[in-house]
Amino acid sequence: MTRSKKIGNHKSDKKKNISKLWKTKRRVKDLDQIHQDMKPENAQKLLHQEVDYDVTGNAQHYCLHCARYFADFRSLKDHFKTKVHKRRLKQLREEPYTQEEAERAAGMGSYIPPRKVEVTTQIIEGEEMS
Amino acid sequence: MRVEKCYFCSGPIYPGHGMLFVRNDCKVFRFCRSKCHKNFKKKRNPRKMRWTKAFRKASGKKLTVDNAFEFEKRRNEPVKYQRELWNKTVETMKRVEEIKQKRQAKFIMNRLKKNKELQKTQDIREVKQNIHLVRAPHAGKAKLLEEKMVQKLQQTVDMEEDP
Repeated sequence: MTRSKKIGNHKSDKKKNISKLWKTKRRVKDLDQIHQDMKPENAQKLLHQEVDYDVTGNAQHYCLHCARYFADFRSLKDHFKTKVHKRRLKQLREEPYTQEEAERAAGMGSYIPPRKVEVTTQIIEGEEMS
Repeated sequence: MRVEKCYFCSGPIYPGHGMLFVRNDCKVFRFCRSKCHKNFKKKRNPRKMRWTKAFRKASGKKLTVDNAFEFEKRRNEPVKYQRELWNKTVETMKRVEEIKQKRQAKFIMNRLKKNKELQKTQDIREVKQNIHLVRAPHAGKAKLLEEKMVQKLQQTVDMEEDP
């Protein structure tokens, strides 16, 4: 394990003002919430949403692991090939951190190391559509 | 009233300290100080931050599995105050803490021992590889050569004498 280094924040407009991103107002989904979303019944709901004109792409193109809406099918597909998405998949491959783990680390019970979770990019439906 | 554990660093949170964050799905997060809260807001993984207890345990720097850890638990049953029981509990707490400290110290010492052996083999290898810095490659060779010459001369002398 190495110390973290800052990676490529210069080109991203979104990250120009990071202190804004850390505000609770703009809070995005945490990794454990995404693990919840990955359960088949929840995933089914998220991947087949009703048309909502207020959301990007009418909420029709959603990346489950990055919790992001895309404008169209093509941009979603392109997103799967990006570094951002792959990095997210890697982060998700470990069991989410919980309060229980924090307590076990503090000496309340033996510490159990996190298990691995199999995570793959969602299967794109309507492949033949495009 | 309870001494809670911090979500991020697993440190104790005494009443009146730290802060509590309730996410919009009703999940509760407690933090012992603003440092932990800020790190949480930045979505950092406590397992990867070197200063948290979770890191120390996940990376095998501290004792993880032991029976001494089974005493401290979240027991949601109120116990009626009994002077004798209370006294006994305090005594055992001290004893348990003592044992725990000893075992943890031993674990760390064992962990460090391994590196000592590795260091030793590495040192030996380094000396072997860089021996030319200590002793010149031709040191002592002149003497050897001289001895060889003497031997050869002797042989030739013997050969000449033979016939």
